Amino acid sequence: MKHKLVFLIVLMTIPVLLSGCWSKKELTDLAIVAAMGVDKTDDGKYLLTLQIINPGNVAGGMRGGGGSQSPPVTIYSATGDNMVEASRRASSKASRRLYYAHTNLVVVGENLAREEGLTTFIDAIDRDHEFRVTTTMVITHQTTAEELVKTLTPVDKIPANKVLKTLEFSQKKWGESIKTSVQEVMTDMQSPDEVSVVSGFRLLGNPNHASQLGNIQESEPESILQASGIAMIKEGKLVDWLYGGAAKGTVWILDEIQGTTINIDWKNKKEAIAYQTVRQKTKVSGQLKNGQPSISIHTRVEGSIGEMNVPVDITDVKVISRMEEEVEKVIKKDIKKAIEQAQTNKADIFGFGEEIRRTRPDDWKRLKPMWNDVYFPELKVDITVEAYIRQAGLRNKSFLSTIEENQ
Amino acid sequence: MSSFFKGRKPKKNRQRDAENQAAVQSEDHIQESLSANLDVIRQKTGNSSDIVVRHLKMGRNSDVKSAIVYIEGIVNNQSIQEFLLQSMMKVDDKEKLNRDDALELISEDMMSVGNVSSFNTWEDLFLSLMAGDTLVLVDGIAKVLSACTKGGEKRAISESTTQMVVRGPKGAFTESIDTNTSMVRRIIKTPDLWMESLKVGRVTKTDVTLMYIHGIANDQIVKEVRQRLNKIDIDSILESGYIEQLIEDQTMTPFPTIFNTERPDVVAGNLFEGRIAIFVDGTPFVLIAPAVFIQFFQSAEDYYVRYDIATSVRLLRILMFFISLIAPATFVAVTTFHQEMVPTTLIVAIAAQREAVPFPGFVEALLMELTFEILREAGIRLPKAIGSAVSIVGALVIGQAAVQASIVSPAMVIIVSITAIASFATPSFDMAISVRLLRFLFMIGAATFGFYGIILILLMMVVHLCSLRSFGVPYMAPFAPFTPVNNGDTFIRLPWWTLRQRPRLISANTVREGKNQRPGPPASRGMVNRDFKEGGNNEA
Amino acid sequence: MEKAKISASQLFILMVLFELGSALLVPLAIDAKQDAWLAILLGMVFSFVLLLVYHQLYWYYPDLLPTEYMQKILGKVAGTVLAFLYLFFFMYDASRVLRDFGEMLLTFAYPETPLFIANALLILVIIYMVRKGIEVIARSGELLFILMFSLSVVGFILIVSSGLIDITNLQPVLEEGIAPVLKVVFTQTLYFPFAEVFVFTMILPYLNNPKKVRLTMICATGLSGINLILTMLINISVLGVDLTARSQFPLLSTVQTIQVADFLERLDVFFMLALVIGIFFKISVLFYAAVIGTASLFKVKSPSRLAYPLGLVVLFMSMTIASNFQEHIHEGLKLTMYILHLPFLVVIPILLLFVAFLKNRKKKGKT
Repeated sequence: MKHKLVFLIVLMTIPVLLSGCWSKKELTDLAIVAAMGVDKTDDGKYLLTLQIINPGNVAGGMRGGGGSQSPPVTIYSATGDNMVEASRRASSKASRRLYYAHTNLVVVGENLAREEGLTTFIDAIDRDHEFRVTTTMVITHQTTAEELVKTLTPVDKIPANKVLKTLEFSQKKWGESIKTSVQEVMTDMQSPDEVSVVSGFRLLGNPNHASQLGNIQESEPESILQASGIAMIKEGKLVDWLYGGAAKGTVWILDEIQGTTINIDWKNKKEAIAYQTVRQKTKVSGQLKNGQPSISIHTRVEGSIGEMNVPVDITDVKVISRMEEEVEKVIKKDIKKAIEQAQTNKADIFGFGEEIRRTRPDDWKRLKPMWNDVYFPELKVDITVEAYIRQAGLRNKSFLSTIEENQ
Repeated sequence: MSSFFKGRKPKKNRQRDAENQAAVQSEDHIQESLSANLDVIRQKTGNSSDIVVRHLKMGRNSDVKSAIVYIEGIVNNQSIQEFLLQSMMKVDDKEKLNRDDALELISEDMMSVGNVSSFNTWEDLFLSLMAGDTLVLVDGIAKVLSACTKGGEKRAISESTTQMVVRGPKGAFTESIDTNTSMVRRIIKTPDLWMESLKVGRVTKTDVTLMYIHGIANDQIVKEVRQRLNKIDIDSILESGYIEQLIEDQTMTPFPTIFNTERPDVVAGNLFEGRIAIFVDGTPFVLIAPAVFIQFFQSAEDYYVRYDIATSVRLLRILMFFISLIAPATFVAVTTFHQEMVPTTLIVAIAAQREAVPFPGFVEALLMELTFEILREAGIRLPKAIGSAVSIVGALVIGQAAVQASIVSPAMVIIVSITAIASFATPSFDMAISVRLLRFLFMIGAATFGFYGIILILLMMVVHLCSLRSFGVPYMAPFAPFTPVNNGDTFIRLPWWTLRQRPRLISANTVREGKNQRPGPPASRGMVNRDFKEGGNNEA
Repeated sequence: MEKAKISASQLFILMVLFELGSALLVPLAIDAKQDAWLAILLGMVFSFVLLLVYHQLYWYYPDLLPTEYMQKILGKVAGTVLAFLYLFFFMYDASRVLRDFGEMLLTFAYPETPLFIANALLILVIIYMVRKGIEVIARSGELLFILMFSLSVVGFILIVSSGLIDITNLQPVLEEGIAPVLKVVFTQTLYFPFAEVFVFTMILPYLNNPKKVRLTMICATGLSGINLILTMLINISVLGVDLTARSQFPLLSTVQTIQVADFLERLDVFFMLALVIGIFFKISVLFYAAVIGTASLFKVKSPSRLAYPLGLVVLFMSMTIASNFQEHIHEGLKLTMYILHLPFLVVIPILLLFVAFLKNRKKKGKT
């Protein structure tokens, strides 16, 4: 009995000791990749730009405040015929093992997205177990992914975090951008209409200066990163950009809006009143009339008045309901603009086809082959918006109205 | 008590014969000659200086020679003085005495001590002499009288030092077995509190007392305990730990399968759950068997404070148990295998701390844990005055210098400190010490296979725990096998009125409370039934 | 047979752990697309019939292991051969599950580790447990069941609270009609994982309360069926049909998408541990059945001695049954179905029951 037990223990310890920790990765041997940029070079190869965190310069509060002498991130780039090759080639430059599990941002160059599309390299991200599926994807706008990834940013020391946070808060407060993960893009492209949206990002300023430490030592950085527009992806390729109202309208239809402001005209003054949304919900439903598909969009929004540049007496209930009508009109206009632009590009970014498939699976089989080319561009969309003003801030009348009365 | 011992005697005699054949030569009976007897006593004890022999002459002509023999220090001098010497030396009594009925007269008339017995074998004589009795020998009679004069210096009952409570009785057991059993007897006033005594240890002849409540304890378990105790054949028993290691079900386990305590109220509480207490002379630690896993997380106070408090404290202890078991292992696993689980900012912070540390994570953790164990051990062994110096040095070494010298990272210091504090929260020292051991196993698992290593060792531990038994009772009861009614007093403690049953696998008689013990105000004082005059209104 | 008894509740827990085991891992019934849940439900309902067959066999011979009563029913030679085949089947099944597990481990967390080591470590712990006997298996099951269920409840709450569930992914119901669903039921879900509980007939003789067996078996299958349905519903509603079908281990992919409070992310490794428990018990039960069956067939006095050699067999079989994971899955879905599952789990038990029924009627007629 006893020698058996010893045998068991020996048997158990040998593999444990022999195993020698195959998958072990010490923290000091890891190069944590915060963001990855993918571009297309002129000779048709992929250019991979990796933004690697220098931990000591980001979190170095304790050992004599680092961060000032050296930048918080280091950039390595490499080219290759495919992603894996480029990534492995980059290893010859980095002193550590490239570690992608904390890559929260994938930046795709505009050229690559337009010419070759996202589909070709996305599999590498999907297949690799290290990558997060929740990684956010952005497309550069009027710049290359390399320049975007190289840019140093103040406040949020890691540029990838700055991009993510910018996206998140601009979606919450402004509503003209949308945070999409790699997985969402993939799922969208698998759906029958093969269409998706990805937020755009651009670099304002001098690309050469952006990667220098000087850029974050200025109180007014010369080069900054800014969210800019929404890219329309069709069959994996970038076909068009949506800006301003159209971008906002897209976000409205996708029901991804988390807060925005709507300016309405009042008494001939342009954009005189700012309306802040608080709660909103958009419902899309599809019908079939006489074999012709149609979509109805129903948006309901509640919000408050943020600013009035003209004297208005909102103690009057009628005024409020007129304002609500104005708000409805503006939202309706945005939505319509978005749909028109999508229809001209024959790209059903809103998932209307998917909606029809869900509700009328039998008819969908008939519509499917010609959906993007025939049915969607001609689709009749019925938009209804219900807007409510619930609060008006701390005051009722604007102080402008008192000034006017005094005059 | 004596009947039990007699049952064993023949066997013991035989052993003794075999050993001492040359010396005693089968002369195991006391002789008639007083001087010969005294010579034997002197010879057997090697003329030890603490043996006192007082010669007395009694009888009408002072012709009856007699002697009193006792051992200095373990007898109560006062009672020898007052009840033996004084009464035996009184003149008028001396007169009556003659050779033939001397012993009867002495025992019936002269000795005013409670417990007097007589024997005629050397073995009994020495047993009783060494236990602190006083022997009376009379010339010409091949018998000896023994008067119970046990006494000597004892430690007074003091407050418990190992199992402290805020609320609850303070007194702890002492080194004297009689004091200890009497303390429990004083709590449980029933004739059903049965005790069986036996002497264990060939040389030390240590008193061991088995205590249980007849009718509540399971007879089979009592029988099992008795059997195992009888099987012990060892020269000495110096502490109850000897007994524990000789009677436990399995020795190849880090987990304690017998509970020990130095609190009489804990013993009483366990007796009422049908368990058996084993008192050992010379130690304040009383063994309690059978023990189950969850018992080591229960403190006496849990039963004295209200149930909601007790439950939360117990849950906290279980949490602490797991923290002290796997916190360092988890840290090693996360930082060397599963960095993706940690939020980016945190992993960057940890990585920044580790930049300058030359060791791999596992070595770092091992280093710190070992340092801590060394400090703890040193702190216990050192005299109190120096002990505090150790903790100062330790705090400086662990807390400051090691970090500044870039030998360890601050995060590791935090983990080790949490682990250390958590390991102190387990009420039972035995369980805490086995966790200390297992922690290293978990760390090795984590260092080689990350979380997979941890879960493998956890699975092994669970399987091992489930395979353990304590005197036939599954160690993980009442979880596995699951006994729903007994789960009210495990991770949680329900109010007393719901705990109507004793542990089913341990106790023979499970019902311990009457029905409807739920307290409540009399109906007339409540908001409802204000007009209900008849019932339960005590106030005039 | 060892002298041990387990209770009905312990049987219940073992069965639930067994059926969840590796079925939680794989994209179960994904060929039925968004109606996978329906396929699982129907598979569960149809498996009740098989359960009754197994139970009736047990009822005829309550104190005998299947390896023993096969000899009574079919005669010495044929019965022994059949019993031997069943032992092989159990061991093959055990090695399949072990392979599933090892592949999952390698794919998700330990890509550089050799499969052999990952499998060897688990089978060592399993040998350690099986050597301790059925009572210890059952008791460990009770403890770890609680751990596994609390983990899955936490996981469920996390998934719901991170707002990942999109019910529209489950629509439309029955897009292609009922036919594809039924096809999936009768080629997949009925056998894996439900009919696999045939292995429990090897454990039923240890039960201390034979009357509760039928109810226990049905309840256990019901509970695990509901759990599997919920899991697949969540997988599909979070990942969508395509991604679920493309995932080797959809449940872990679902868990990967959890993002709560900015710090609970990438919990897949953590939840892999919950899956380890289910797999651990599935292999243990299959392996225990193989060990105890071999012992009874070859009249070995102490079954625990067989644990080491048979464990090694399972380990090496798990390495050699397929050269890569895709081949392994292909074998599991296409080949074992017709060669192993259909005859061993459906046809033979029904034939056995038929013969046993005739024999017992004859006996009754005589007396």
